[in-house]
Order: sequence, then structure tokens, then C-alpha cells
Amino acid sequence: MPEDVRESLFIVVPAYNEGPCLANVVGELRETYPHVVVVDDGSTDDTFEVARRCATYALRHVINRGQGAALQTGVEFALRRGAQFIATFDADGQHCVEDIPAVIEPIWRGDCEIVLGSRFLGSAEDIPRTRRLTLKAAVLFTRVVNRVELTDAHNGFRAFSRRAAEQIHITLDRMAHASELIDQIRRCGLPMHEVPVRVRYTPYSLAKGQSTRGALRILFQYLLGRVFQ
Amino acid sequence: MSVNGFQIIVLAVLGCLLVLTVVAMVRRWVTRREGVAWTLVWLAASVAMVWPGILADLARGLGIGRGADLLLYCTVVVVLCGFMMVYVRLRHIRRDVTQLVRELAIRDAIINSDGRG
Repeated sequence: MPEDVRESLFIVVPAYNEGPCLANVVGELRETYPHVVVVDDGSTDDTFEVARRCATYALRHVINRGQGAALQTGVEFALRRGAQFIATFDADGQHCVEDIPAVIEPIWRGDCEIVLGSRFLGSAEDIPRTRRLTLKAAVLFTRVVNRVELTDAHNGFRAFSRRAAEQIHITLDRMAHASELIDQIRRCGLPMHEVPVRVRYTPYSLAKGQSTRGALRILFQYLLGRVFQ
Repeated sequence: MSVNGFQIIVLAVLGCLLVLTVVAMVRRWVTRREGVAWTLVWLAASVAMVWPGILADLARGLGIGRGADLLLYCTVVVVLCGFMMVYVRLRHIRRDVTQLVRELAIRDAIINSDGRG
């Protein structure tokens, strides 16, 4: 990755009660990347203390507003700080820092404006069967409802050019933002690529992740959001 | 026209609501349009209470049969519309709260020295 790209890349990490894991994730990111933005989404543990100690920028939602809201806050902050490239990265240690160059490359090369990481093009280590099925159902849903062909619709590892980030505005505060984002990408006509990424499932990340019931709640939130938008 | 005890109680309550609505309108706690809408609701309820035959005639005219059934159907429709309006309002408020929380977070961001703040 060229030095000027690395210098103008902001990595946004939304975090809610990620105290036990955040220091490692942010520490690893900061070894290579100078701009790491942690948005603490009103955590009740020491997430914000860890963020202010480890991250380049620590932001705090005074009340919990959901992952979609935290991502949008991080993106808006990065834009105001002059970011030219923005990547979003999960705080629970699922994603690999080594994958960031591959996620950013199609954007700085000018091939597209948005890159979505795909665990099904890359690898999903120790993914439970029910999680795999739920994610595949989400992919099918994205094909039918959003009319976008993807292999992984709900991966938090994404990258945006400045132009794309300025056009996209996530309004669904909670987890349904992933489907809303795909809608907006399609509506804005932004060129998009999927690239393979690794996702590591650990007991910690599985406990933090969405259950099948949670997925149904997300579906309901998304459909309500579409109706009342 | 004879008025029984129940009708007197309900009419008294409706009268109080009407007065409250007028006060709210005068003191601008509600918009003029909202005040007029609520005034019409209380007046319609009062008319239906004093002359229930009007409701029955209206129901027959609409092919519903009984005045009580017409009232029930109208209530269901009004309550559902009310729920939807409250839900939409709630969504707007949530969105505003998020925007406020976002602006506070950005304003109060902590920038470590190498963020070249």
C-alpha cells in the first residue's frame, strides 16, 4: 500500500462492551495504521477507557445507539478529519489486520469506490453451522430484496473512498444497517467489489455475535425501516 | 330528550376535555389545527352521547346495523392510525437523538497526540 494511502486511511472500529478484546485489536491496527477511530457506543464496561488509551481517536456515544449509528459517527468524524479512504473493522478480533491492504487496494487503484469483505470468498475459521446457514439466508435475502449479487452480505469489514462515504448515510441505527448500506450503494450507483477476507470465530466473538433470533429481529427492523423511510 | 346519570358523567368529562383543549390552544401548547381536531372529536362524542339515535341512523345508512358496531369499527381504525402516527413520530425522535449523540461524540472526541490534532 502506498505511504500516502496509508496516511490518509482512517480505520473505524465501532465498539460496545469490548473492553476485554479492544486493546489487542486497536494495538495491532496501530502498529501499521496511524488513524484508528474507536467509537464507543455507550458501553457499560471500560471500553472507552481502553479506547482513549489505545486509539488515535476515541469517541463516545453518551447513550447506546447501535452499531449502525456508531459506524456512521466514525465515518463522519473521519471525513471531517480529511480521510481519503475509510475502512470499518470489528472490535471483537474477528478480522485480520493483514487483510486491510487487499480491502483498500481496489479503491486506491481506482477500480471501485466501495469494497466489501467476504468470508465466503476468503475463509471463515470455526464458523458454526447455524451461523453459516443464517449468513447464507442473508445472502439470498440480499439477492431477492436488495437485488445485489453478493457472497457475504453482513460482514463488518468494508472500505470506502471519500466520495462513497460522503454519499452514504446510514439511518438504521441497529444491526439492520448492513442491508440499508447495500440499498444505498445500489441507489447511488457506486461501483463495488467483494474481496476475500478471513473471519476468525472465537468463543468471545460468537458470544458477541447475532443469534438466529437476532437475525429475525434485524430482518424485521430492516423491513420496518424500508416501509417508513 | 332525557339524560341519565352515566351520560351526565361522560358529558362532564367531555366538557372538561373541551375546556382543556381550548386552554391548550390559547396557551399554544398545541397547534391550532390540533386544537380544532380535538375540539371536533369531543363535540362529536358529546352529540353521540346525547343523541345516540344519530349514530344508529348513520350505522344503518352505512349498512352496519348497530350504532355500537359503527363506534367499535371507528375506534379500531382510529387507534391503529394513532399507533402508526406515534410510531413514525418515535422514529423521528430516535433519529434526532442519534444525531445529537453523534454530534456530541464528534465534538468531544479525544485525540491522541499522534493524531496530529
